[in-house]
Amino acid sequence: MRRLVTVLGLVFAVALAVQTGGAQAPYYAGKTIEIVVPFAPGGAADVGARFVAPFLEKHVAGNPRVTVRNVPGGGSMLGASFFAANAKPDGLMLMCTTSSTVFPWMFGHPSARYDLGKMRVAMTMAFGPVVYVSPRTGVRKPQDLLRPAEPLVYGGIAATGSDLPVLIAFELLRLPVKVVLGFEGRGPIRLAFERGETNLDFQFTPVYLTQVVPLVREGKAIPLFTGGVPNERGELVLRDPVVPDLPSVFEVYREMYNSRPAGPRWRAYEAAAALTFSYGLTWWAPEGTPEAALRALYEAVDRIVADPEFRERAKTVTGGYPLRRGDQVESGVRKAMRPTLDVKKWIVDLLREKYNVRF
Amino acid sequence: MVDAALAALTAFLDPLRLGLLAVGVLAGLAVGILPGLGGIVAVSVLLPLIFRLDAATALATLTGALAVVYTADVITSVLVGTPGSPAAAPTAIEGHALARQGQAARALAAAFLSSMAGGFLGVVGLTLSIPVARPLVMLLGSPELFMFTALGVVYGGSLLGRSPLRGVLSGLLGVLLGLVGPAPAAAEFRYTFGQLYLMDGLSLVVLALGAFGVAEVAGLLARGGSIARQASLGGGWREGVRDVLRHPWLVLRGSVIGVWAGILPAIGATAASWIAYGHAVATSRDRERFGRGDVRGIIAPESANNAATAGDLIPTLLFSVPGGPAAAVILGALYAYGIYPGPRLVQEHLDLVYVIVWSFALANILGAALSFLVSPAIARLTHIPFAWVAPPLLVTMALGAYQSTRHFGDLLALFLLGLLGWTMKRSGWPRAPLLIGFVLAKPMERYFWLTVNLHGWRWLGYPGVLAIGALMVAPALLAAVRWRRSTRQSETRGAPTAGGKEPPPATGPAQPVAVSMALVALLLFGIGVAQGVRFQYDARLLPLLAAIPGLLLTTLQLARALRSEPAGPAEEEGVEDAGPGEDRGVWREELRQFAVVGAYLLCVWLVGFHAASFAFMAAFLWRRGHLRPPGALAYATAALACFQLLGVGLQLRWPTGVLLR
Repeated sequence: MRRLVTVLGLVFAVALAVQTGGAQAPYYAGKTIEIVVPFAPGGAADVGARFVAPFLEKHVAGNPRVTVRNVPGGGSMLGASFFAANAKPDGLMLMCTTSSTVFPWMFGHPSARYDLGKMRVAMTMAFGPVVYVSPRTGVRKPQDLLRPAEPLVYGGIAATGSDLPVLIAFELLRLPVKVVLGFEGRGPIRLAFERGETNLDFQFTPVYLTQVVPLVREGKAIPLFTGGVPNERGELVLRDPVVPDLPSVFEVYREMYNSRPAGPRWRAYEAAAALTFSYGLTWWAPEGTPEAALRALYEAVDRIVADPEFRERAKTVTGGYPLRRGDQVESGVRKAMRPTLDVKKWIVDLLREKYNVRF
Repeated sequence: MVDAALAALTAFLDPLRLGLLAVGVLAGLAVGILPGLGGIVAVSVLLPLIFRLDAATALATLTGALAVVYTADVITSVLVGTPGSPAAAPTAIEGHALARQGQAARALAAAFLSSMAGGFLGVVGLTLSIPVARPLVMLLGSPELFMFTALGVVYGGSLLGRSPLRGVLSGLLGVLLGLVGPAPAAAEFRYTFGQLYLMDGLSLVVLALGAFGVAEVAGLLARGGSIARQASLGGGWREGVRDVLRHPWLVLRGSVIGVWAGILPAIGATAASWIAYGHAVATSRDRERFGRGDVRGIIAPESANNAATAGDLIPTLLFSVPGGPAAAVILGALYAYGIYPGPRLVQEHLDLVYVIVWSFALANILGAALSFLVSPAIARLTHIPFAWVAPPLLVTMALGAYQSTRHFGDLLALFLLGLLGWTMKRSGWPRAPLLIGFVLAKPMERYFWLTVNLHGWRWLGYPGVLAIGALMVAPALLAAVRWRRSTRQSETRGAPTAGGKEPPPATGPAQPVAVSMALVALLLFGIGVAQGVRFQYDARLLPLLAAIPGLLLTTLQLARALRSEPAGPAEEEGVEDAGPGEDRGVWREELRQFAVVGAYLLCVWLVGFHAASFAFMAAFLWRRGHLRPPGALAYATAALACFQLLGVGLQLRWPTGVLLR
C-alpha cells in the first residue's frame, strides 16, 4: 500500500510539473485540451479520439497536453449534454462523437440538451461501410439482390444508430430484406453472419479489410457496394478510395433502375450517410470558440495529414481516410444535419412505421 | 506454437516491459481494493500512458491491470463485507462471515490462492482454446446463447435459500431492475421516468455496492465495536492455503465455469461468480455453513471470476468481439495500434497473443503475492473500532459509485439500492438472486428476440439447444429428488434442512421491515406492470413475465409478513445470514445509520465531494468514533489528502455541489 501511495505521488508530481511548464506565444501553449467522448472506452469514437490525441499534442502549435474523458450514458446524450453545459468557449474542451449523437438531436429527442447547430466543427474523420452478402443467397453482383435465392436477412443494432443509412439504402434500392435489430454491436453481427444466422451485412472499412476480406478469399462472403464518398458539392456520388473496386450506392441505383437517384429517399440517404460515414467522427468546439483556437486546430490537421507516421498508422486504424479541417467540412456537416422538411418527414415516417420508433 | 510461446517469453523478459507490467498490476490491485472501481477504471487510467509505448509493452501493461482486479477485490469483501467489485459479492457473504468469526486471514488466503489458480487455469484455457475456439464459437448461435443465459438463471436457482418464495421474488425484482433502459429488440426506453440518468439502465457496480456494501456498513455501524468478534486472527494463512489444496476439483470446476462464462458474450465475471457459488452449494453434501462462512463459497467464485477474465480475452482476441467491458478497452487499444484481432492475429501476431498469455500468468502470481503481503496489515483493520474505518470506506464507496456515469444519479441510486438491499437482508430476502436476475435479464431478452426473429420456432429442436436444455433439467431433477428425500426426513425430524443451513435460534425477520419490504416490492412490481402493459409488443414480454408473477407472489408474501410469521425455522433467512445473536430491535439502529449515510450523500450533492466528505468524516469520527475533535480533524484531513492523491492518480472525477455552481 505504501508503495502504491509513493507511485501515485510521483504520478501526481509529474502531472503538476507538466501542467505548469510552457511558453506563451501560440494559443494553445502550456494549455490542456480535454476531449469529451460521450461513449464508454473501447468504442469507435473513443478509439478515434485516442488515436488522434497524441498527433494533436505533436502538431497543434504550442504542443498542448491532450486528454480524453469518457462521459458515457443515455446513448451518448448524457455526455453531449454534459459538454454543452460545461464547455467554455475557449477551445480547451472539445467533443468527439458520431452520428449516434447527431440523430437524436436532429429528430428533436427531449433528452438531447445540446445544440449541434450552433457548435463549431474542429475536424472530422470518415468511416467507410462495405456491404457484403453470403454466397448462399445466390447473389453475385448488386443487381442480384432484387432476386435472391434465399430470403435476405440483415442483422442490426438499432434503427436510429449507425444502421440508419444502410436501412435507408435498402428502401432506396427497394431490396426485399428482413431486418432483425437488437444485436449488441457490429462484432456479434459479423459472427452471426459467419454462422449463417444472417446473410447480408455491412462493416466499416478497417474491420472489413481485416475480418471480412479473409472470408471473401475463402468464398464465404461476396462484397457488393460501399456507401459512397461526397464530391466537392457534397453529393454522395464518388467511389470509396479505400475500396475502389466496389461501386457506391449511387452507382448501384443507376445500374438497377437506369436513372439517377433523386427525391426524398435519395436525399435522406445522402444526409444519413454523410453524418454516419463521411463525417463519421466529428470533433466539436462550443459556440463562440475564438478563431485563433480553431485556426490552430485546422493548421494542426494539415500537419497531421502530412505526418508520415500518421499516414502509416491511419492506413490500418481508419482504413486510410484522412483527417479533415473543420472549415472545409463545416458547411457539409450543417447541410446534412438540416435536411429539408420533406426529407426529415420521410425518415421519421420510415422509423415510425417500419421500425416502431416513437418520437 | 511452443516456439512462439518461448520466443514471446524471451521478448517478454525485458526490464521495461516487466516494470510496466508491475505498474499495471499495481493499478489493477488499487482499483480492485477500492469498492466501486473495476477493470474499466484500471485499464482506462493506463490508456494515456500506454499510447506512447510499443504494442507488446502496452498489452503487457493492460493485461497486468486487468488480470488482478478480481484478486484484490476480495480484500474489502472479506474485511468489511463490501464487494470490491460486483464479481466479489459471494465472497462478501462467505468471506466476511469468516472475518467476523476472526478468520479473516484464512478467508483472504483462500481467496487469493483460488484467484491465482483460477487466473492460471483460465490462461491455460485461453491458450488451449486458440485452435478450437473458432469452430466452437461458430456453433453458438443466438438460440444456444439464449439457452446459456437461461442455464445461468437455473443455476442461480440453487441460491434461493430457505424460502423459495422470497428467493424467486428477489430474482424477479433483479430482472425488473435489470430491464431499466433501452429495450434490446425494440426502439423503446423502459422505466426511465424521463430521467436521462436511467436511459442506459442501472449500473451493476452501484447495485452491488448498494445492496451489499451500504447495507453491510449500516449493519456493522449499528452493532458497534470492531468487525471481528474474536480477538485472534483465527486459523491463519496456512489454514486458508490448506482449504484450497483440499478442494482442487472445486477450483478446477470454478475455473471451467469462469472460462466458459468469459467466452460467452454477455455473461461476465459477476454471473460466473454466482454460478460457481451456486454450483458449490449444489454439489456440497453438507450445506449448513453456507451463508455463515464456508470457505468453499469463496474458493469456487474466486476461481471463477479470475478465470472469466481470461475467458473474456478469447472472443476478444479471436473475433474482435469484446468479452466484457474491460476487454473492450483492450480491444480499443489494439485498434489504435492498427491491430485488428481475429483469425489473422493468431497467424500474424502470435507473439502478441503469447505476450498477453505470459503477462496474464505473471500478473496473477504477482497480484496474489502482493495481496498476501498487504493483507496482514489490512486484516488488522478488523480489530479496531469499525466507526474509525467506516467514514473513509463510505467516502470511497460514494466516489466509486460516482465513477459509473459521473452523474449525481449514481449517488442517489447507491443510497436507494442500499436501502433496498438492507431491507431485503433484514426481512430474509436473499440478495444473490437479485444480482443474478439483474445481470442476466437483458442478455436473456436480447438473445430470446434474436432467436425468435432469426429462427422462428425451429430452434427448439436444435441439438445444441436440446443439450443445454438437458443440462438445465438435470440439476432440477436432482434437486427435486433431494428435496423430496429431505422433506420426508424433516417430517420425521420436524425441521426442513434442504437448501440451506440451520437457522440461528430466535432471529426472525423483523416484522415491520418484512412488511415494508413486501410493500416496496409490491410498489416496484406494480409500476412494472402498469408501465409494462404500455410497451410495444417486443419490449413488454420479459417485463411482464417478471412483474405479473412478482405482483401476485408479493401479495402472498405480504400476507405472510402481516400474519407476523413466527420465527420458526421454515421462515428463516436465505443463503445469507443476519449473523447469530443479532436481536430484532437492531433494525431501528441500522435505519438510523442509513439516515447518516443519506445525510452525507445529500451534503455531497449540495456542497460537493471535498467539503461534504471532510465534514462527514470529521463529525462522524468525533461523534461516533469518540475521537477528540483535534484527532478527528487530523484524521479527516489526512484521509481527504489520500483521496485527492488517489483521485489524481486514477483520474477520478469529483462530484461538485449544486450550491457552488
